[in-house]
Amino acid sequence: MNNRIKELRARYDLTQEELAKRVGVRRETIVFLEKGKYNPSLKLAYDISRILQSRIEEVFIFV
Amino acid sequence: MKKIIPVLVVSVLVLGTTLLWMTNPGFSMPVAEIVQFVVIIVIVGFAVYLAINRFRSVRRGEPAEDELSKKILQKASSFSYYASLYLWIVMIFVNDRTKMDSEVLIGTGILGMAVIWVGFVIFFKVRGVKNE
Repeated sequence: MNNRIKELRARYDLTQEELAKRVGVRRETIVFLEKGKYNPSLKLAYDISRILQSRIEEVFIFV
Repeated sequence: MKKIIPVLVVSVLVLGTTLLWMTNPGFSMPVAEIVQFVVIIVIVGFAVYLAINRFRSVRRGEPAEDELSKKILQKASSFSYYASLYLWIVMIFVNDRTKMDSEVLIGTGILGMAVIWVGFVIFFKVRGVKNE
């Protein structure tokens, strides 16, 4: 699974730390997500998509 | 914060007990015990490093642990359990050949289990955790 978190985060001018705080996780988790080292839970995927004002399938790309 | 304090307390207790052991009047430092001492320091150091990382997360306003950190610990623990089973089989095999003192056998086994756990935590922190 790939994702566009970094791209969308830059669009809304959010740092990794700010995004992590808003979704209630550690910055390390956002780093792992962006590098593709971790697949989030459904709830986390939903929360991230909501903060980035996009649908889940626009943020996370299932291949 | 609540989960950081027990880790630090246990680390201090382990270090304190090790120092008490070393200041024992009959204490001598054969090579095997030097190795054990170094391994204890490494394990305690790693525990303190994890506790400090959590403390820094809390200071930044982040949670001390989240789904990723819990997943890493769960995976590391389950993998290290299976590896530890094989470790004890190896220890029994070595004991049959060398007739180790039971205290040395058990102490080495416990340290080995801790080292295996630390290794798996580092492995999953570097490689990541995918649910595929």
